Amino acid sequence: MWDLILNPFVTILAWLYAALNQDIVLAIVVLTVIIRFLTYPLLAKQQESSRKMQQIQPQLKKLQEKYKGDKEKMSQAQMKLYRENKVNPVGGCFPMVIQFPILIGLYQAIFYALAATPFQLVDLSERLLIPGLDSLIPLQRMWSPIPQLVELLPELDLTLAPTENPHYSLILPLLVLVTTWAQQKLTMATTGQKTTKKDDDDDDDGKPAGGQAQMMKSMTTIMPIMFGFFSLSFSVGLSVYFVTSNLIGIVQYSPQGRAVLDRLFRKKQTDEAPVEIVLEDDEPTRKPRKRRKKKPRKK
Amino acid sequence: MSGTIRARLLLALCLIVAGCLATGCVGARMGVSWPAVGLVMVNGEAKVSLAYNNDVAILSPVNGAPLRLINPLSGEAMRDSENNPRDWILRGSDNDGAQFHSLPIALDDETMIVAANNGRLLKIDSVLVEVTRSIPLADKVVANLLAADGVIYVPYQNGGLSALSLEDFREIWRFPTEEGIWATPLLAGDMIIVASIDHHLYALDRDTGEFLWSVDLGGSAASTPLLAKDRLYVGSFNKSFFEISLEGRILGFYQTENWVWGTPAMDENGVVYVADLSGFVHALDSERNLAKIWSSEVAERGIRAGPIVYQDRVIVASRDGKVYWLDRRDGVPVNVREVEERPELLGDMLLLEPSDSLDIDEPLLIVTSVHDGRLLIAFEVDGRQAWVYPR
Repeated sequence: MWDLILNPFVTILAWLYAALNQDIVLAIVVLTVIIRFLTYPLLAKQQESSRKMQQIQPQLKKLQEKYKGDKEKMSQAQMKLYRENKVNPVGGCFPMVIQFPILIGLYQAIFYALAATPFQLVDLSERLLIPGLDSLIPLQRMWSPIPQLVELLPELDLTLAPTENPHYSLILPLLVLVTTWAQQKLTMATTGQKTTKKDDDDDDDGKPAGGQAQMMKSMTTIMPIMFGFFSLSFSVGLSVYFVTSNLIGIVQYSPQGRAVLDRLFRKKQTDEAPVEIVLEDDEPTRKPRKRRKKKPRKK
Repeated sequence: MSGTIRARLLLALCLIVAGCLATGCVGARMGVSWPAVGLVMVNGEAKVSLAYNNDVAILSPVNGAPLRLINPLSGEAMRDSENNPRDWILRGSDNDGAQFHSLPIALDDETMIVAANNGRLLKIDSVLVEVTRSIPLADKVVANLLAADGVIYVPYQNGGLSALSLEDFREIWRFPTEEGIWATPLLAGDMIIVASIDHHLYALDRDTGEFLWSVDLGGSAASTPLLAKDRLYVGSFNKSFFEISLEGRILGFYQTENWVWGTPAMDENGVVYVADLSGFVHALDSERNLAKIWSSEVAERGIRAGPIVYQDRVIVASRDGKVYWLDRRDGVPVNVREVEERPELLGDMLLLEPSDSLDIDEPLLIVTSVHDGRLLIAFEVDGRQAWVYPR
């Protein structure tokens, strides 16, 4: 089952390698760009869902306060709020669930394509779907960022970790760290997440919005460090993938990048204010309970 | 649940998912190679040798048990600090974390050498199973060494072949290749023949390392060629199989279904049997430029190791965890044995026939798997399982 995702990626990567003058780094960059571009509609849906959820957070908070002791009414009110605002509470997850195997597939395709040992290479024989690509094996794993300056910047072995490569390759984990951080920051800005002091205070009160914000804040710190750390021990080829993927993410999450991509995918911007809901026993601000009860009867 | 706890749980979940993404924890292999199995002489008797990851072990062919170390002075079993009998197992963890995929070679009754995957050649006191000397090599080694006439030929994982003097381990010559050599070099008269991942089969002068000729195989080659009837038979990853003269001319060619990784086998009639990584076995006529006699899709998954010809059978072991006995005439399986839990059978097979130096009554077929619980599985020729190592 997993091969259905992985094998086409491995094949396309090998094909790109052949088409791009046997430059594996260029092939990784181009494949990452293609995949991120093709999965942009999913990402946009996820962003839109997160933004809408963020917009209705104040109303959700109000509902939570109002129906503190009545779970059933609380859930009814929430559902109505979601319906009125056309928000699917799990809508943000679905695109992410689809994107995940694609990203892991891409990651593994690079891993397999850069096979450097018998154990890794034996699997490749079952993964190349286009005849003729077998003659490319093994893909060229030595790569120089500037071939003219190969004495100054010796070739990197893309299958080895930065610690086993020339010293200048240690810049890659640093780049992974910085670009992951920048992407995280932009993600939060795009989906409207805030990490202000107020959110932290809210979190202490047990409010979900604050908790989410704190989580995002922690992720912005931990994820870049974690990925930077991984990149120290993973092969240089995978760092190329991480950096490329992050840079594309930065473009996708930046306002200018989003505008261009939204135009390309003909997506309308929906920055409308959220619809406020009125429940049967809703209590509009500063209105007596009786009048609020009468209102639906008139309908 | 408070927001803080929920936030932390979500964070932990995110980190797990990110970890999965980063490590791609869906089946990617991290190992180097599969187990190597062969024969080694110990005190005048042939024993089974195994090299895989952390261990080099010498086993009894009778039951697959590791040899017990005997004190040469007292004749009693040697014991470790906890008073347990000591087995003939060399641990890489006790020797700078060395990994082994290359078989040991016995130099005499008390000395062996083994190449490790950390770029060291270890000289071993084979009585005490202790490393007495560690010689630096030019690179890591993943294939078996070849020893002949006081010289060892060392193929390197990332490219090149060295000839070292067995006397003092100094390098006599080194021949560079663009990519790695993952197959044991072959001695053919005055030539050393070696297949490389860089798509070439090279012939070198065995004394000087001088380049004699090479053949472009169109794809990587990771198997030792078969030398038979003054011809070389070798396959490549370009789904190709070649018959090559000892002067380096291609005499015959056959298109296989997938990569060829194992050394082919030939029977007494000149029929060459070659298996590929699509699970096919092909019988080719060496008298008619590798004309096809039959081609049979035998296994569900690829066959990495070369076939073995025994009497009227061709035996292959597949990545699907099964061993197949085929009729030599038409390639039809006449016997199939499934290894418990169906581990991938990737390493080369070994056929042991009773002899003066080998203490067995019946022929044994030893197959290797990548399952840590059954690295070696010995079958009798009728397919019955004889023993498993480790037990």
